Parts: sequence; structure tokens; C-alpha cells
Amino acid sequence: MITIVGDRLTFRFPEVHRFAESGIEFHRTLRIPDDKRTYPLPPRLGRFPLRHLDDFADRLPRESVRRGGVVMPIHQAEALWIKFSDRFGSPYPCAIKVATGKVCAISGEPWQEGLTQDPQNYVVVPGQPWLDGYCVAKGTIRQFVAMPLGDGHTVEEQLTGQGVHGGLQIAVHPMKRDVHESLRLPEPCLVLREELAPYHHEMGLAPGGRMSQEIYEDAFGLDAWDQDHGGRCFVTMANSQQWMAIAGERPPTQPPTVREYAKAGLPWFLHYDRDRKALAGGERLAGLRSVAETVRRGEAMAAREEGTERGKP
Amino acid sequence: MSRFGTRTRQIRERLRASDRRYSLRQVARRIGVEPAYLSKIERGAAAPPSEATTLRLAAELGEDPDVFLAMAGKVSSDLQEIIRKRPKLFADLIRQLRDAPDEAIFTVVRVVRDGDW
Repeated sequence: MITIVGDRLTFRFPEVHRFAESGIEFHRTLRIPDDKRTYPLPPRLGRFPLRHLDDFADRLPRESVRRGGVVMPIHQAEALWIKFSDRFGSPYPCAIKVATGKVCAISGEPWQEGLTQDPQNYVVVPGQPWLDGYCVAKGTIRQFVAMPLGDGHTVEEQLTGQGVHGGLQIAVHPMKRDVHESLRLPEPCLVLREELAPYHHEMGLAPGGRMSQEIYEDAFGLDAWDQDHGGRCFVTMANSQQWMAIAGERPPTQPPTVREYAKAGLPWFLHYDRDRKALAGGERLAGLRSVAETVRRGEAMAAREEGTERGKP
Repeated sequence: MSRFGTRTRQIRERLRASDRRYSLRQVARRIGVEPAYLSKIERGAAAPPSEATTLRLAAELGEDPDVFLAMAGKVSSDLQEIIRKRPKLFADLIRQLRDAPDEAIFTVVRVVRDGDW
């Protein structure tokens, strides 16, 4: 069963073990530059709010309602990272799949039910404390950056040529009870509006700048995971205009300010503000173009087309 | 040493092992207290701080705010407000669920619906 507890998605499997639980949080952060350098982890700016999608069913497209899950307001061009949290001192091991637009963020393969080891399409917690982006090479990820579907930036559009799904997809499988017991892992101990804009483009995630981050290999092996028990959740993302349209209020969070970027020693670019105005890495992910690259490519194509137009008699 | 202080120190030191921003001095500055005061809290030489400071500390350390408040011997003011608005209903509910296993409690919790995707 999946619940929202304090803006955290909590997956519980009481039928497997009393402590079989895993928490997933989506945190706001600053965008690191889309250049050829690799950056350290950027600061954390608090959690993104999460709401039951069904609460806004009468204002959402039928397709979104069909998917169920939760809805999360996120400003366009804002960056996020995923924290795998432990409510208990020593969390129960779980295998967690993360996808955007139904493309696995670990392997780059299309979403499929269940776990695979070659290529590994999940992370193991505890062990993997967080995930900041797409695993594009060993020790390197490209940051998760929110962009509208339809502009060609998202991973889904770059790899499948279509922007159909968008959003974020999560699936969790707990460790098999007998494996957990045989490993004698420590028993977890409980520590106790303006005019409303029409709803149009859905949001997806695109690859941003490069960051150093290890995605760890599964040390337990595929057989350790209880694939008969699991939970999954579709996280629909809404930019500020969409959030106003569906919730009737401004998003609870504000996009990071120029000052916050300066404080972190990171450059700030005008296109970051669009919303205010209006393992070895997966082979398929390695060739992704960052948002900056797709913007540059789009501008180059537009310039070329403009040149062609001018060349017409 | 108090459990609240011990736990705070454990989590902060664990974070500091990989990120120097979690030094006692820097964490104290970010949550708006003196480093000496945070040190006393961690050593159990001072009682857990106010609800607001405890919540800032929980957020800073990435911990569950309710669990952190409980360790500090407090219940969050929003929960108190919920009970004060409908005291009989919520008092009865909490007492009835007091000894129930977690699975039973989960049955009264709202579950995220998984759809077709």
C-alpha cells in the first residue's frame, strides 16, 4: 500500500514484514550548468508537495485520471532529486525502479513491470541514498530538469520520439522475508490566480547538467527481491500554470531565486525563469542531449530555416 | 545523554562524513541557534528545543518531523489543532487504535490509487 505522509510517498508491505517499508521524497534543488563540466551535488531546498491526483479529478484530463497516483507542482525548468528516506533507523531493504516518461532512469530501457538485472533497472535501498538524475555513465548522472512535453527536451521524446506519458514513475519491491531473515540484517527499530490558463502541455523530465554520482550495483542479486509483492505510483507533474488551473491556487513552493544560485556559487540563466513568466550508465541514456543542447539545436535549426526563408525569391 | 540528543548527533555526524556543511557550527547557523546550544542539546545537557527549532532541525537533517518531535517529547501543533477541533471524535479514534497492529491502522489511512499506465 502507498500513502502520502508529509509530502513523502510511503510504500508499505505489511504482508511481507512489519518493517517492510520505503519512503520516497522529491526534493527541490538548483540547476547545475548544462556545460561539459561535472559538478558536485547542489544544495537541497526542501520537498516538493504531493497531493492525491483524485482530489483534482474533475479538473484534469481523463488520461491523467486514468493513471491514478499523485500530482506534484513543479516550476518549469526546476530541478529535482529523489531521496530514498528511512523512517526507521535501519530500513528494510527494497529494490526501487525510477522512470520518467516510462523510460528507466537507470538503464534507459522502456518501462516494464518487474525487475531486471542485465541491465539493472533499479536501485537498492539502503545503500543508494538519493538519485539526482539519469545514469549516463559510470559515476555520472545528468540532472532531472522539469520541461513541458512537446518541445523535444524530455528523455521520453529524445528516446522514443513521442511525448505521451511524461511524469515520473516509481515501483518498489521489498526484499523477500526469508532472505531478510537469513541475512540477519539488523532489526529496524522505530524511533518512535490571474486568469486561469488552459490546461495544455503536461510536464516531463529532461536531462540537465552533469553531476558526479554513483548508482550502485545490487549486491543481493535478483532472487532477493519479492516480485510477488510490490507497489507502483505514477507522479503527474504540473507547472505553475497547470497547478493554478487544477488546484485554484499558486504552487506552495517558489522557484529558486537568482540569489540562491549566487549563494551556491552556481550561474543562473534567463531560461531558468520561464515558468515565472508564463551503474555504467544506460547506453540509451549516454547519447541524450541536455536541455541546453536541445535549446541550442532548436535555435540553430530555426536560424537555418530563417536563412532558407530569406533565400527564397 | 538524551535519546533526542544522541539521535541528532548520530544523524548530523553521518551527514558530515560526506558533506562538511553538516558541521555543528554550520547546522546551528542554518537552524538559527548558537553552536554552543546545539552542542548542549546533542550532549543532553540541554532539553530539546522549541517545536519550531525542532522542525527546522528535522528538515535540515532530512528526518521525519513527527518522529523528531516525538523524540523531543512533543506533539506538533497542527496535530493538536486537529484534535482540539473535534476532540471527542479524535480522542476516541486514537484510543481505539492504541493497541491495534500497524496493518489495522493502515486500513483507515488513505491509500494512493494506482491506475492504468
